[in-house]
Amino acid sequence: MATAGAAGSSGRTYSFKVVLLGEGCVGKTSLVLRYCENKFNDKHITTLQASFLTKKLNITGKRVNLAIWDTAGQERFHALGPIYYRDSNGAILVYDVTDEDSFQKVKNWVKELRKMLGNEICLCIVGNKIDLDKDRNVSVEDAESYAESVGAKHYHTSAKLNKGIEELFLDLCKRMMETAQAEERAKGNGASQSASSRRGVQIVDDEPQATPAGGCCSTG
Amino acid sequence: MMSQRRGIHVDQSELLCKKGCGFYGNTAWQGLCSKCWREVNQREKQRQIQEDWALAERLQREEEEAYASRHQRAQSQPAITPFNKFEERKTKVKSSKVNTVTKFFTPSIKTPPKKDAGPFDTQSTPSPSSSASRQSTLDSDRAAREFIDFLKPVKSGREIFKQCRAFTESMVYKRDMGADELSESVQDFYQNLSERLQSQFKGSSELVEKVMDEVEKYMMTRLYTEVFCPETTDDEKKDLAIQKRIRDLHWVTIAMLCVPVDEEIPEVSDSVVKAITDIIEMDSKQVPKDKLACITRCSKHIFNAIKVSKKEAASADDFLPTLIYIVLKANPPRLQSNIQYITRFCNPSRLMTGEDGYYFTNLCCAVAFIEKLDGQSLNMSSEEFELYMSGQTSPHWPQPTAASSSSGTAALTQVHNSLDLLTGLGERQERVIEKARQLESDLIDWTDEVEQEVQSALESFPLETQNTTANTASGTASASLSAIDSENIENEQLPPPLQPQMFAG
Ligand SMILES: Nc1nc2c(ncn2[C@@H]2O[C@H](COP(=O)(O)OP(=O)(O)O)[C@@H](O)[C@H]2O)c(=O)[nH]1
Ligand SMILES: [Mg+2]
Ligand SMILES: [Zn+2]
Repeated sequence: MATAGAAGSSGRTYSFKVVLLGEGCVGKTSLVLRYCENKFNDKHITTLQASFLTKKLNITGKRVNLAIWDTAGQERFHALGPIYYRDSNGAILVYDVTDEDSFQKVKNWVKELRKMLGNEICLCIVGNKIDLDKDRNVSVEDAESYAESVGAKHYHTSAKLNKGIEELFLDLCKRMMETAQAEERAKGNGASQSASSRRGVQIVDDEPQATPAGGCCSTG
Repeated sequence: MMSQRRGIHVDQSELLCKKGCGFYGNTAWQGLCSKCWREVNQREKQRQIQEDWALAERLQREEEEAYASRHQRAQSQPAITPFNKFEERKTKVKSSKVNTVTKFFTPSIKTPPKKDAGPFDTQSTPSPSSSASRQSTLDSDRAAREFIDFLKPVKSGREIFKQCRAFTESMVYKRDMGADELSESVQDFYQNLSERLQSQFKGSSELVEKVMDEVEKYMMTRLYTEVFCPETTDDEKKDLAIQKRIRDLHWVTIAMLCVPVDEEIPEVSDSVVKAITDIIEMDSKQVPKDKLACITRCSKHIFNAIKVSKKEAASADDFLPTLIYIVLKANPPRLQSNIQYITRFCNPSRLMTGEDGYYFTNLCCAVAFIEKLDGQSLNMSSEEFELYMSGQTSPHWPQPTAASSSSGTAALTQVHNSLDLLTGLGERQERVIEKARQLESDLIDWTDEVEQEVQSALESFPLETQNTTANTASGTASASLSAIDSENIENEQLPPPLQPQMFAG
């Protein structure tokens, strides 16, 4: 997004919006709390909330403000996805390596995101809970080859053991910076972004095929 | 707390237009619907037009003078090039399209030419108006003064002000423009200006942001009455639709939505009431940023309610259902108009990556969810959903009570809870009395024991205690007092046993 990433080539600050998508209970909230607060399953969280978190980074001398948007993962909120991921620079699509179903959900998200946002958005597919590797139900090869086939990058993480999370976010930031710089150059060459893509709430009437109401954490 | 809830609840009939036309009325329009309000105000409006012109011209003069006196020094360098080209483009677009609705609003008096004014001032005549927008003229005058004061120490402040004013006043006469185009114009202006400021302030984004906030405040205070819920859109229709939809969903409970808050906890119900108040307050603000601030305050109260209930920080899975619940309870006035207005005229950077933007996005999600809500979204069959919607069944009361509202049933729940509490209190009181009785009999037993021991002691040592026994027998108070210090205390007459006092029975 031009304005979000409107951080010129100079010493300006990049502002990125990253949206967390995935089925309930795969560990979205745990990942972001581990990354921003270095906490896991800790009742003594200093923040009032864990749904919108920010992180300031310095990558190769450039300042980056990362805003991480948690989304409601329950099936009944699926149709709201487009409102959340609109204007995102990046999306982190999380599945649970022990839950094949959650990987299928990621595939659905990828399709939807590519359809709605094209290639402007940096996609990360994240297999979480690798500490439970003995119960793995999604093969590493399948996941990685799928990610490659859709132009996404694949990562393995454990929020519990704090594995792979720093790398995930750092890598994503670098990719978003590249995209923003490419966009900047394109803009300099006279191609201007369409005004409608700049902003505007678009409540997209996108009813997904009816799936049985997925339980939330309390029921699952 | 109950009374606070009742304060929020309004009877259906109170919301209808006072003229009885069947549409919903609005307090901002003295209880009338927009159509009736316009009719009623038309005559008064005509009368006030002349008056307003005079007032507006005076304010205009004062503003100019204020600027002249405050900015004698900073007048030299117009570092920002004016938006002439941009302006041309925008004014060319649809200057001819005037539809009937706008004509209704436009006065017959033509814009008086102001030949003495500079190029910016030709456009700056304020729009004629009714008492409502007379107030808005005063508001925008105050906003202009504040804007000038803010820009005083800013480099090229005067230039910024002139451009903002020129643009804003040009917008006033583009009411016939579609809402999307109005929005486009304003957003283009924001973007152009902020890019210029970026290079002027050498990348100090904080300063740019601060200036842009003030720009938004000044411009939108001036344009509010023109561009909020404009004639050219169906915003008002959507407002009425969502208002009715929320009323029809009065029966939806916390449990159906899986809302993780426990309103039994006083702090939680307090936060819920505050969240409702904040989201309702949004409608009373004019500047998009101020409206966003209401949503953010509402969200913080929601987070507090969740944190106190769940003892953990709220995730999106907790937040969104709770926000939906708050919106259902609050039924905020002109909800769609407010969302559209913010979307169209807020500084884009705030909406896209900022914290305010996150909460605003969730509000958009909540509204979209409420619009599409069906049985499945509440984990019930569509038959059950239809029963609720038709008022044939209600989650709180077995009998169908058509008139019951969510607040009414909430009050009933409260009554039940209070009754439960009272029953509990009664039981506790009973237990206290039981304990008191026990204590009383224990004391009696104890005195009996002591008496017995004394007796047996007396029997064991009859001779040695002769004197004292006699003393005691003589029974004077002084004697028994001295007996306390005496070594022979065995036969001392004890004070009467304590009588337990009963406080309730
Ligand atoms: N073993 C293990 N459990 C995890 C991991 N990440 C999250 N969990 C657990 O999975 C459950 C759901 O996590 P949560 O972050 O709420 O998932 P969300 O619904 O996607 O936000 C919680 O009980 C977490 O403790 C992980 O890396 N390893
Ligand atoms: Mg979560
Ligand atoms: Zn009416």
